[in-house]
Amino acid sequence: MVLIGVSLLVFSLIHLVKGDPVRLALGTRFSQETYEALQHRNGLDQPLVRQYFTWAGRALTGDLGVSFRSGDTVTSLIGERLPATLTLAFAAVLLALLIAVPLGTISALRPRSFVDRFASVISQIGISVPDFWLAIVLILVFAGTLGWLPTGGYVPLTEDPLGWIERLVLPAIAAGVVSGSVLTRFVRSSVLEAMGSDHVRTAQAKGLHGHQVFGWHVFRNALLPLVTVTGVQLAYLLSGVVVVEIVFSWPGLGQLALQAVRSRDYPVLQGAILLFALVFLVINLVVDLLYSRIDPRIRR
Amino acid sequence: MSAVPLPAADPVLEVEDLRVELRTPRGTAHVVNGLSYAVGQGETVAVVGESGSGKSVSVLAMLGLLPPRVATVTGRAVLQGEDLLTMSPERLRQVRGPGAGLVFQDPMTSLNPVLSIGKQLVEGIRAHDDVPKAVARRRAAELLGEVGLPEPDRALDRFPHELSGGMRQRVVIAIALANSPALLIADEATTALDVTVQAQIIDLVERLQADHGTGVIWITHDLGVVAGIADRVLVMYGGRCVEDGTADDVLERPAHPYTRGLLGSLPDLAAPLDPDGRVPDLATVPGLPPPPTDLPPGCVFWPRCPVRSDPRCETEQPPLVTVGPGTPGRHGHVGRVLEHRAATWYQEGTAR
Amino acid sequence: MTAVPTPGGIPAAPAPGEPMVARPARPRWRETLGLLVRDRTAATAGLVLLIIIVVAIFDETFASQGPNEQDIPGRLQPPSWSHPFGTDDLGRDILSRVILGASVSLKVGFLSVGLALVVGTLIGLFAGFYGRWVDDALMRIMDVLFAFPAVLLAIAILAIRGPGTSNTIIAIAVVYVPIFARVTRASVLGVREEVYVRASRSIGASDFRLLTRHVLPNAAPPIIVQTSISLAFAVLAEAALSFLGLGTQPPNPSWGLMLAEGNEFINRAWWLAFFPGMAIVVTVLCFNLLGDGLRDVLDPRQRTLMAGGGR
Repeated sequence: MVLIGVSLLVFSLIHLVKGDPVRLALGTRFSQETYEALQHRNGLDQPLVRQYFTWAGRALTGDLGVSFRSGDTVTSLIGERLPATLTLAFAAVLLALLIAVPLGTISALRPRSFVDRFASVISQIGISVPDFWLAIVLILVFAGTLGWLPTGGYVPLTEDPLGWIERLVLPAIAAGVVSGSVLTRFVRSSVLEAMGSDHVRTAQAKGLHGHQVFGWHVFRNALLPLVTVTGVQLAYLLSGVVVVEIVFSWPGLGQLALQAVRSRDYPVLQGAILLFALVFLVINLVVDLLYSRIDPRIRR
Repeated sequence: MSAVPLPAADPVLEVEDLRVELRTPRGTAHVVNGLSYAVGQGETVAVVGESGSGKSVSVLAMLGLLPPRVATVTGRAVLQGEDLLTMSPERLRQVRGPGAGLVFQDPMTSLNPVLSIGKQLVEGIRAHDDVPKAVARRRAAELLGEVGLPEPDRALDRFPHELSGGMRQRVVIAIALANSPALLIADEATTALDVTVQAQIIDLVERLQADHGTGVIWITHDLGVVAGIADRVLVMYGGRCVEDGTADDVLERPAHPYTRGLLGSLPDLAAPLDPDGRVPDLATVPGLPPPPTDLPPGCVFWPRCPVRSDPRCETEQPPLVTVGPGTPGRHGHVGRVLEHRAATWYQEGTAR
Repeated sequence: MTAVPTPGGIPAAPAPGEPMVARPARPRWRETLGLLVRDRTAATAGLVLLIIIVVAIFDETFASQGPNEQDIPGRLQPPSWSHPFGTDDLGRDILSRVILGASVSLKVGFLSVGLALVVGTLIGLFAGFYGRWVDDALMRIMDVLFAFPAVLLAIAILAIRGPGTSNTIIAIAVVYVPIFARVTRASVLGVREEVYVRASRSIGASDFRLLTRHVLPNAAPPIIVQTSISLAFAVLAEAALSFLGLGTQPPNPSWGLMLAEGNEFINRAWWLAFFPGMAIVVTVLCFNLLGDGLRDVLDPRQRTLMAGGGR
């Protein structure tokens, strides 16, 4: 249902543009043949309703048309860029979790302590910092002044593991800070909430050791909703890394989408957006499934 | 008192001048203000009062279950010869379970929803008794059988949400009984349950009590339940005991205007007895209990009191004094006369 | 702005024949303000925001130099007394440009969130109040919009409509409409079945009266909280879009744009990118802190969509 709506919206994108998208994209110098070939290949010479079904039908089989610019298929362009974006998004989420879970937990266990105040200030700032600005500052400090890490680029893990890590660190930090801050606050409130629930009192009344009460009755319960929120953050990051990708010249989908906007390469933009929306939905679906596996209340 | 006190078995629990203060954003709340009572072996003491009267807080305070950051607890609470309020945290942990088991009000929330019943029972058993998991599991199944859960072996692998409210409360009771406690504290244990289930649970506790000689504190605001199970009754209001005595004395010859209000026996508070003479549920006393941050200087009940016969009512807190001849004790108090006391300046005949 | 009820919180006189049904305490605005002032963090944030807003309104007065006044010999000067934030590659005074950028950022922020607030609240109100097919239809559309990642949706809209400030406002507004619709709908659903609403309905109060007198005031707290937090994100989004070259266009000063320009000189002149960035951080931080403070005071249990991420 949502998927149909999404596809309709993405489809109409190219038609909402004022003027002839192909002509706009090609600029002034082009041959009539190129023009017609592009129109035909992307199905733009058909009546509108049929166009949608042609487009949607092709999209279902993985054919998203061809680029106005390079003539490559959109699918292959996206396929090239996807691994880089996935790598960055997962690295950022992983980093965010590594910081958020311990920091949020300690804050909840010692409310109003130094760690709690510190974490609260840091996460508050973390949510407010534009990730691209942080990216610039990180480059300035770690790549420029200190010269420890490269300023950007991407090499596949299989070619140069060390280079992969070196180039991944800064973008992952820049992209992960916001999520890390959101998750820190979430873990804190989630642990606090779990600590206040009745079953924790039952556990204490049983005479369990402190670590048992915490591990089995507080932490475990607090982490369940974290799965959902982490999923949301991952989905957010997959598209949210757009700007960070630009700063670090990270050859991901965000960069592809932005180039497509700048060069009016609408089929590529359509493809990228459709993919993002799809990934967004898939992640939500996976999170729901995962949640129903780990929470006995939903499990059948 | 005319009766000669005979030596009786030591009480399971002896509370002396228990006071609890809570720090709240609106100032210090005096939630429990000098509570003293004892629970003998095999005896059931019912603690009654409206919500906010300090019933639950007093037992939570004794077992160290209030957040230490917020709560200040003073006085003495001696369980089987040891003061709970001064013992080390580790000793207190050891006492929770074998010393005192707790059953909380809401069976829907007092079990961990994401752990199986078996796990929740087994961890309690193994926290005090270093037995292999399999042994603890067998004992857990026996406990579930004992509290009347059908198919106890299969129930071990079920989750709380798969059980009805009554069944869950049986599980909570099984957890509380897992280490054969000397004292069982049931905090509104049947309030959330329907009447038939309630009766079953009460039967269950009475049977277990008879078998193990467990002392029971039954916190409730349901006077029907009190009449059914209590040996003695303690009426709390504003964090104080305003009346105590045997169930017969307190329910038949209430002395404190508040108790009478609860029982509906004061004419101006309406709610007459049922035609068949049954004790009705709590009658509603008009008004609200005083906020524990701002207790009145005189009798705590004064602002709501319909009689206010004495000039001291407004200025002076009445002491808890003997108001009747008392009744010969039973469980743990055999051979002793149990006093009937009330804290009120109201001096009318107590007979109804 | 439709969602903000009349201040004072004086309950409307009951219409003749309206039953004496206890209404829940409406948010009392004066008390709310009092509590907020006592929350020192939120109060400070509010004060700083007020200063930023005043500076943005009277930007011409505060800026010592025209934003596009060039001074090529004095280009790329580090911060000094005459140029506290330094000068950029064209010798323009960065402080002046940051001040003028504030007015652009805040204008975009307020207008886009205002637009989203009005549209989203209306949608949520109707969906929640009328239920059934109205609810289904409206909320499915919102679901579709929500299925697009925020940044990408804005980029797509700008790709269609072309870059520029007014299109940026529309793009950001479209992103936030579903959020306001969801927040409003959730609180309306919570209020709709309350006794006092049903009672009013049973004596024949009109839908309009119900909505404006009962439903909206009680649904307002989470909406207000969401507004403050959305403003924070709108300022960030404007900066990001301008940074990408899709939002505000040069030579107009915008924080995001200045960051993009400064990025090219980052190794030679750090101040070009540093000060606009700090301006964004401070503004966004203040909106977030104010939002948190408002939530604590108005709506302690609510976790907003953006902050908690829980849906």
